[in-house]
Amino acid sequence: MESSAPSAAVEQLPAGTADAAAEERLDRNLAPAIAELGDGVRFRRYALGALASMLLLLAAVLALNVLVDPFSLAGTKLLPPALENDRTTKLDLIDKLETNPQIVVLGSSRSRQAEPRFIEQLTGKTGFNAGVTGGSAADSWVMVRTIAARFPHARRTYIWFVDYGIATNGINPQLAEDPRASPYLGRTGVGFSLADVGTYIGFDATKASFRVLRACIEGSCHGRIRYRADGSLTAGSQRYLPERAKSLARTVGQKVEEIRHQPRQAPRLGSKRLVWFERALAWMNAHGATPVIVLNPIYPSVWRLIQRRGAARPKQALATLRRLQRRYRFVVVDCEDISRWGGKAKDFNNATHVDQQNMRRMLRYVVARSRGALG
Amino acid sequence: MLFNSYVFLFGFLPPVLVGTWALRIKSLRLLFLTLASWAFYAWWDWRFLPLMLSTTTVDYVAALAIHRTEEQRRRNLWLIGSLTVNLGLLGYFKYAGFFFGSLDGIGRALGAPVDLPALHILLPIGISFYTFNSMSYTIDVWRRRVTPTRHVLEYTTFVALFPHLIAGPIVRFADLQPQLRAPRLRLTSEAAGIGCYFLVCGLVKKLLLADQLSPHVNALFASPQQLGFVGAWAAAIGYSLQLYFDFSGYSDMAVGLAWLIGFRFPQNFNSPYKAVNPSDFWRRWHMSLSAWIRDYLFIPLGGSRRGPRRTVVNLMITMFLAGLWHGAAVTFVVWGLVHGAALGIHGVLRRAGMTPRSTLVNRVLTFAYVVAAFVIFRAPTLHVAGTILGRMVGSGGVESLGTLQALLPGRFVVLLVALLVFAQVAPNTWELRIKPRLLYGVVTGAAAAAAVASIAVPHPFIYFQF
Repeated sequence: MESSAPSAAVEQLPAGTADAAAEERLDRNLAPAIAELGDGVRFRRYALGALASMLLLLAAVLALNVLVDPFSLAGTKLLPPALENDRTTKLDLIDKLETNPQIVVLGSSRSRQAEPRFIEQLTGKTGFNAGVTGGSAADSWVMVRTIAARFPHARRTYIWFVDYGIATNGINPQLAEDPRASPYLGRTGVGFSLADVGTYIGFDATKASFRVLRACIEGSCHGRIRYRADGSLTAGSQRYLPERAKSLARTVGQKVEEIRHQPRQAPRLGSKRLVWFERALAWMNAHGATPVIVLNPIYPSVWRLIQRRGAARPKQALATLRRLQRRYRFVVVDCEDISRWGGKAKDFNNATHVDQQNMRRMLRYVVARSRGALG
Repeated sequence: MLFNSYVFLFGFLPPVLVGTWALRIKSLRLLFLTLASWAFYAWWDWRFLPLMLSTTTVDYVAALAIHRTEEQRRRNLWLIGSLTVNLGLLGYFKYAGFFFGSLDGIGRALGAPVDLPALHILLPIGISFYTFNSMSYTIDVWRRRVTPTRHVLEYTTFVALFPHLIAGPIVRFADLQPQLRAPRLRLTSEAAGIGCYFLVCGLVKKLLLADQLSPHVNALFASPQQLGFVGAWAAAIGYSLQLYFDFSGYSDMAVGLAWLIGFRFPQNFNSPYKAVNPSDFWRRWHMSLSAWIRDYLFIPLGGSRRGPRRTVVNLMITMFLAGLWHGAAVTFVVWGLVHGAALGIHGVLRRAGMTPRSTLVNRVLTFAYVVAAFVIFRAPTLHVAGTILGRMVGSGGVESLGTLQALLPGRFVVLLVALLVFAQVAPNTWELRIKPRLLYGVVTGAAAAAAVASIAVPHPFIYFQF
């Protein structure tokens, strides 16, 4: 279906016609075909129908997701969440610990592959992995304080995995809702925010809700990810990890595209986002520990792209950590470039998460570079 | 602030619509729209707002000064001053880093490194678009084709109007002047209906089509060595479709938003993949830019008035600059030159009567050349582009079935084929003749809800980087 009127409005580029005439032609097509087809009443019905049906559908989706609450954002608690609530699991495991862990692993899902048994082989010290999905500095702070409360007179040190954003001041709703965390979070509470509304009218939440509903109908509401007593993942859980991508190349491609669209300059790391991070560092130092801060590894091609674009964010992260080192005692081990510690590109679960093989290689490097902080 | 974000759709747009239509006094409405548009721009990075304001001020003053005097020398001086400021800012922010880097590279290649400082200048978003908008105004006033406005708010609204500010369409003052001079008093049902229609079409194109292609295309371009004949064509066609649905989706949203606030913007895409020759493609693709470079570059260079040879040279210069407009990178320059060469060759063949007569053959050949050229546009380096283009002509052989299954997920193949057929056969949003009935309204609303539901992580528009 060719159209002639709109294209005629724009003169042919290598004009075969007189150029002077082309110069005069500044008018362009401003009237779409749809404008010719209805009267005011029809257009009013059309516009109102569109607006009403959009709002009704979004409201229905929001209601469904709030009721099922797949990410535990609304606190409905009618059904188990689609996301592993590993904060509760880890706090349960800490309650059951019989001996003080001498090394505690902190961080997000990127730290979950660290096995305390392997760390014990390297250092001779017992450990516990307190890393949680989407773990923020507030999560780490609560884990540190809960373990300390469990073993008040024992000493321990920490390996804390962070991204180049270092920390945020956000508190995960699952954490905020756990009564064991509230003594350490003060009166900072979180409710169902506008951002959560955005999440709950989205496809991901809706898909997760249907997954939860289907699982419950089939009678298997419980999650498939299991932890050992030392907080490490069981071997059988590896295949169910949400970060385990079907196609590594595809997640790398997505990450590359995301970085290509980021401004080259890094957004300022404000002091607010470091509140929980600094609070935890101060507390660890006050209790005799020198934590090891590990900058998480980045998939090699993504890392090369970041370097080509000036590496503003990694540079800013290192500068921020150096600034903090004037006030707090900790060791920084930069593992972003996997060639430093012999990492392999194939041993990634996705563009940002290493698997257990790479984690072991990295832990060897971390222990060797910890300047005695890990013993 | 992206059009495809919750903050824009539910935070920015509703109060702007209410404010626009509540203010019936022209100056107040234009002031409100200017301030809202500046806020829209500052949301991304407020530090670049003064840059846009300075461009606006310079061109407003220069246009009035040009109009006031009849003395040609003074008119020329004012125009040169305006162009120097506009092109100077564009050149510094967009091209200084590229220029220094290229000079350094050339020096090294010649064995005489010049050690120039590496510049990391942040590109102000939309600078290429608003600079071209603004420049066309002073040039048109200088050419006596447009009478400049004395009403400063008419001009600030023309430059800053948020629907076209970031990525076009590149509007001319002549397009908007009557609409700015006598704004509509009420939002009519027709304008609301048409605005909704275009806005939803744009959201669907961007969020449900282009963004669904994006991860697959990125994965293919990230590993060019793994591609064979089929994978390379899938990457090239996939990107061409992604770019079309992304950018034409943005343009549709801009047109829809303009209708909702009482303005009409020109058409920017007219089914470009139905083009039957390179010249036809440029009449259909990014039409507002094509018209701009025709009127302000190609024709002043002499256009096609000075014989075939000079026409080809003019085309090469014009398309070289059009390529450079897209970005400070060798890939964009080469992409522009390829199009310049194609336009020139087609012109020569047409004059010699050597172009195919079959419309279908012309269409297939044009589509293949456009798709191949977009490989250069998309690839991070010429080396990668060369690799993929080589694979497209069979240098890497044909993949085995197993490799193809790994490279091209079924969902991607289905989407690719469907969109390819759609782009070749279906009418575009400007041609579509759906009757504005309640039922279609409900369908439009459902499509909007599906698009909004996929916003969770907003993907910027590809043309934002230009």
